[in-house]
Amino acid sequence: MNDQHRPPHYTDPRLSRFDPLSRILYYDDFDDGINGWSELIGNYTGSLDNMLPEYRDMRPPMLSNLTMWDTGTAGSMDGTYALKLATRAQRGAIATSIKRQTFRKRGLIQLECYFSFKPEASELKLSELDVRAFGVLFDVQDGLNPELRWMPHLRYLNALDGQRVAQWQFKRETRPFTAIGEKTVSHFHLGPEGWGDVPVTRQELCYNEIASKMNWHYLRVTVDLESRRFLGFQCNDVRYDGDDLQVVQIPAMPNLSCMLNTAFWVETDADKRAFLYLDSVLLSGDF
Amino acid sequence: MAVRRSYTAVVERNQQWRGAFASEPYETAWASEAIIFVRCLNADSIAGAVSARVQLSPDGMHWCDEGSTLELPAAPDAVAFVRVSHFGGWLRLAGETPEGGTLTVIVYVNLKE
Repeated sequence: MNDQHRPPHYTDPRLSRFDPLSRILYYDDFDDGINGWSELIGNYTGSLDNMLPEYRDMRPPMLSNLTMWDTGTAGSMDGTYALKLATRAQRGAIATSIKRQTFRKRGLIQLECYFSFKPEASELKLSELDVRAFGVLFDVQDGLNPELRWMPHLRYLNALDGQRVAQWQFKRETRPFTAIGEKTVSHFHLGPEGWGDVPVTRQELCYNEIASKMNWHYLRVTVDLESRRFLGFQCNDVRYDGDDLQVVQIPAMPNLSCMLNTAFWVETDADKRAFLYLDSVLLSGDF
Repeated sequence: MAVRRSYTAVVERNQQWRGAFASEPYETAWASEAIIFVRCLNADSIAGAVSARVQLSPDGMHWCDEGSTLELPAAPDAVAFVRVSHFGGWLRLAGETPEGGTLTVIVYVNLKE
């Protein structure tokens, strides 16, 4: 590529490692703070007790400098701090963080991030099968005269019941709605059911050789808000086509017009905390 | 002028403490001061004061007392707090309720650069 055809962001050291679409809606480097990534909580009315049980404890995200008991501080990929999601030390526990936006055009949206995942280094064992899964989802509802709410989910199922899976998956459907008071419903969409395999052979990621060594990975996910579908995704050196990836579709709900939420989550397969680290997240689009 | 960053984490929400308890570890390396708030949502069979100890950790797994303590609120909607500084990379609260007693709490870690 000669200089004339090099995208301008290639010479920006913060953005050069990304491939954004024409405009950037947000670029979050967690050296700068939490940047709007909050804990996900389920709907409730009147009391916290009537929240769906699965949503009651999805843990607050935190800014981590990746300090390990044996080697001290690694820092993030680019600087000192990363966003960290941490589950409880209970098998099946999930931690989820969400950023809530709206969109201004039903066009292409692309999320890129650099991530790492690991179990808590609480045992002197490889522990490479202790993280069950991590993933990213969009939660979108059409704008004017909304017709549909749809939720493209993508997860990396690392292991299940102590067995390696190493498979990317999409989510086909969510659970039935549960009434939460008179005006609100809730549905848990991160359960173990309703996932389909991305039709490509499994992809092994770089876990490294002990629990305190972390390698950063690249992920890019592209969706089309107009046609309400995945266009594809890329993890490190593997690119996946979006044609066979299904999305969760549910009826439009009040008060969610033009919603464009993005959420990350991590789930543990052992009675040990699972961690997902995000060095930086970039959401771009054609708008 | 840059303003100081701050953040409030809800490290426990609607959580029952019965017997020995500890809040989930929270990373605090970026902050220089903290206030930990505990609000009582419900108390059952709690007679007398229940205290919690602020704890620090080098790695999020091994803990020692910082020295500050907090008398936990034992009436619905009562709030108590403890201020700490110079705490390093992790913070949590630990303690023990009296035998048979349960506290249901929401715990905030309020951090500032």
